[in-house]
Amino acid sequence: MFARLVGESFVRNPRRKILTAAALVVGMAVATATLTVSLDVGDRLAREFRSLGANLLVTPESDTLPLEIGGVDYRPVDEGAYLDEASLGKLKTIFWRHNIAGFTPFLDVPTVISVDGVKVHTTLVGTWYEHAVLIPDGTKFKTGASATHPWWKVQGRWFHDDANECVVGAALAVTNPGVFSVGKTINVAKSETAGRAQSLIVTGIVSTGDAEDRTVLAPLSVAQNLSGHPGKTRQLFVSALTKPADSLSERDPKTLSAKDYDRWFCSPYISSISFQIRQVLPGTDVRAIRRVADTEGRILSRIGMLLWIVTLAALAGAALAVAATAATTVLERRDEIGIMKAIGATNSVVAGIFLAEQVLLALAGGAIGFGAGVGLAWILGESVFGTPSSLRVVLLPVVLGLAAIIAIVSSLIPLRRAAHFQPAPILRGE
Amino acid sequence: MFTRLLWKLLHASRGRLVIALVALVSGAAVISALLNLQFDIERKLTQEFRALGANLVIAPSHAAQSIGSGADSPALMDQAAVMSQLEKMRTQEVVAAAPYLYIIAQVRTKPVIVAGTWLDEATKLAPTWRIAGSPVASREDATSCLVGRNVAQQLKLAPGAQLELSYLGRTARITIAGVVDVGGAEDNQVLVNLPVTQDLAGLTGQIGLVQLSVNGTPKTITSYAQRLATSLPGFEVRPIRQVTEAEGELLSRIRLLILSMVLLILVLTGLCVLATMAALAMERREDVGLMKALGGSISRIVGLFLAEVGVLGAVGGLAGCIAGVALSHWMGQRVFGTAISARWEIFPLTVALMAGAALAGALPLRRLGNVKPAVILRGE
Repeated sequence: MFARLVGESFVRNPRRKILTAAALVVGMAVATATLTVSLDVGDRLAREFRSLGANLLVTPESDTLPLEIGGVDYRPVDEGAYLDEASLGKLKTIFWRHNIAGFTPFLDVPTVISVDGVKVHTTLVGTWYEHAVLIPDGTKFKTGASATHPWWKVQGRWFHDDANECVVGAALAVTNPGVFSVGKTINVAKSETAGRAQSLIVTGIVSTGDAEDRTVLAPLSVAQNLSGHPGKTRQLFVSALTKPADSLSERDPKTLSAKDYDRWFCSPYISSISFQIRQVLPGTDVRAIRRVADTEGRILSRIGMLLWIVTLAALAGAALAVAATAATTVLERRDEIGIMKAIGATNSVVAGIFLAEQVLLALAGGAIGFGAGVGLAWILGESVFGTPSSLRVVLLPVVLGLAAIIAIVSSLIPLRRAAHFQPAPILRGE
Repeated sequence: MFTRLLWKLLHASRGRLVIALVALVSGAAVISALLNLQFDIERKLTQEFRALGANLVIAPSHAAQSIGSGADSPALMDQAAVMSQLEKMRTQEVVAAAPYLYIIAQVRTKPVIVAGTWLDEATKLAPTWRIAGSPVASREDATSCLVGRNVAQQLKLAPGAQLELSYLGRTARITIAGVVDVGGAEDNQVLVNLPVTQDLAGLTGQIGLVQLSVNGTPKTITSYAQRLATSLPGFEVRPIRQVTEAEGELLSRIRLLILSMVLLILVLTGLCVLATMAALAMERREDVGLMKALGGSISRIVGLFLAEVGVLGAVGGLAGCIAGVALSHWMGQRVFGTAISARWEIFPLTVALMAGAALAGALPLRRLGNVKPAVILRGE
């Protein structure tokens, strides 16, 4: 009987239900979309922030002080300590290996370049552009300046990492007009007296917006041979996807309890990632490039908080929309309630029928809204970040439950008023 | 007569109007808070991005350098010419501007980079520096310096210790005011005030480059750089691409993200208000029937209801706006630590939006125009 009453109500007067259902669908769609985006945004923005380049710098521990101005090291190449190029693949074996977006070694060598009889003193920066690094598990990982220095622009093309090629900094090319043009062969030597000169083909003019504009960039192997330090490198820039710092990450890992330590180790904080890098590359000093890391952390945590507030606003809006329509449907059906009461229905039966209707509507509306919301989030992800948001099935029960709770709560107030209805005046039409 | 009827209408159905008003006020509050946020977010974020440090560099132009000179002998600029021009062009968008002159000096026979700058401006340039000890407050102070973390570690220096810098036979004795942890190149440098390096190097009044941190959108920064370049002929004004490009890219992403979320909620809240008002209007069927039976023209009746709904929308919108401004103030404090300033454009915009949504919700009333009063009054 109860089920038939509820069913009849849907069949007999579907138009009345449409308004509530529509409000539910729209409200839940917006709620689903904002929830999906908020849950995703940390990861996605962290990826976007990699356009700032590296956030970790690895140097040998026992190194002398680098004489570095604007990113170029002016130390004599035989001074100081080195990192082994062969061990760099171990970076992709740490716990957070998938968060290592890229890494690039640098080896700066002061050189004399002679082209067509013109001698130019400058620094040759040995690096990778897109180098296939051998990982201990046998796979290869392509990385280099393309990943850690995405703002470097080249006219012409980049050097191949295994060829005797180079790219010339824009400022160096401008100050020596006609000397460094694409396609030319230049001779590079460690000093004017050194006999062995390496010839390199210029494949492009690079613009970095920094001190590298005054240098020549070449494959790391070229710089190693030139400096007489094969298989060595001096600095390693690492670009890692991290989580904003919080109270846990700021604490010294040595003072953490075992449980907190596990939580710290298993969170991609910049401090835990640098700790793990130090574990696989012993004898190194791993430092966060704080300018980048701090800015990223601040903005990420702020945007995250902001989006949760916006999501709350969306949920409030959704609740409001559903509540407004649910309240009016009860008021609209005073006549019906009057008749039910006149023929002997108790308040609880009336309330039961209405609530059952609302819950059914909420589940149906919520399910459709969830589908629409997933679509919305997909479009949002696609338009903002270029890749669609992933589907989160976990949200379905959350959204359905939310819809049911909102629908029930918003009908409770008008139903309490309905409990005071006297059937006679209602039926008289007053 | 019209206003009296209107007043009676509003007064008589207080209960229902309260529900509608609650929907209107909360809708307007959410909308105005989000609009306020949307207008302010760019300014807030560009301020946050200034933690990245300098984004413009003034350097001697390439042409000023002779052929054959590489990085080893960078050209110099006249400090007075550049800095006085910069001071004239200084707007409040310029967060900090500091001249630099680098030399490689000897500290206890070890070569160390000594950066001569204005230490008061340099610390403003890089808000992420952590200084153990005390910062150097004045750019004139030629007896105090900051040392980078790695320098302090390798030379075993602590705040308060004396440091002797020597360069080409000249020496300078200075006191270490603080050890600075930068997480960057400055960790390997000694930072002193400009006159110290100028005297050591015998380059009085000369600087190597100027770093600026300019607040604003990528567009305003580029236009400022262009204005600087035209007023400083013979010098190169270039944006630090790592900072400006990434910032521009990230800003546009985040703005688009917030904008799309705000638009979604705007539509939702608008729909919610519309639905509430539509429900309210439908309840008025009987009144319409009665008024028509009494001889009121349909346009007058509809006008009356539209006025009622419009008043509701405007009042709700205004009240909601005030609540919304308070809400965005709280949001600003919570998220950015500084309040989001209220913008007056929000008020007319939100009130118009609310009144519009309310009126749109009341439009179904017009369909009642062709309903026979008798039918409605019979309760059918």
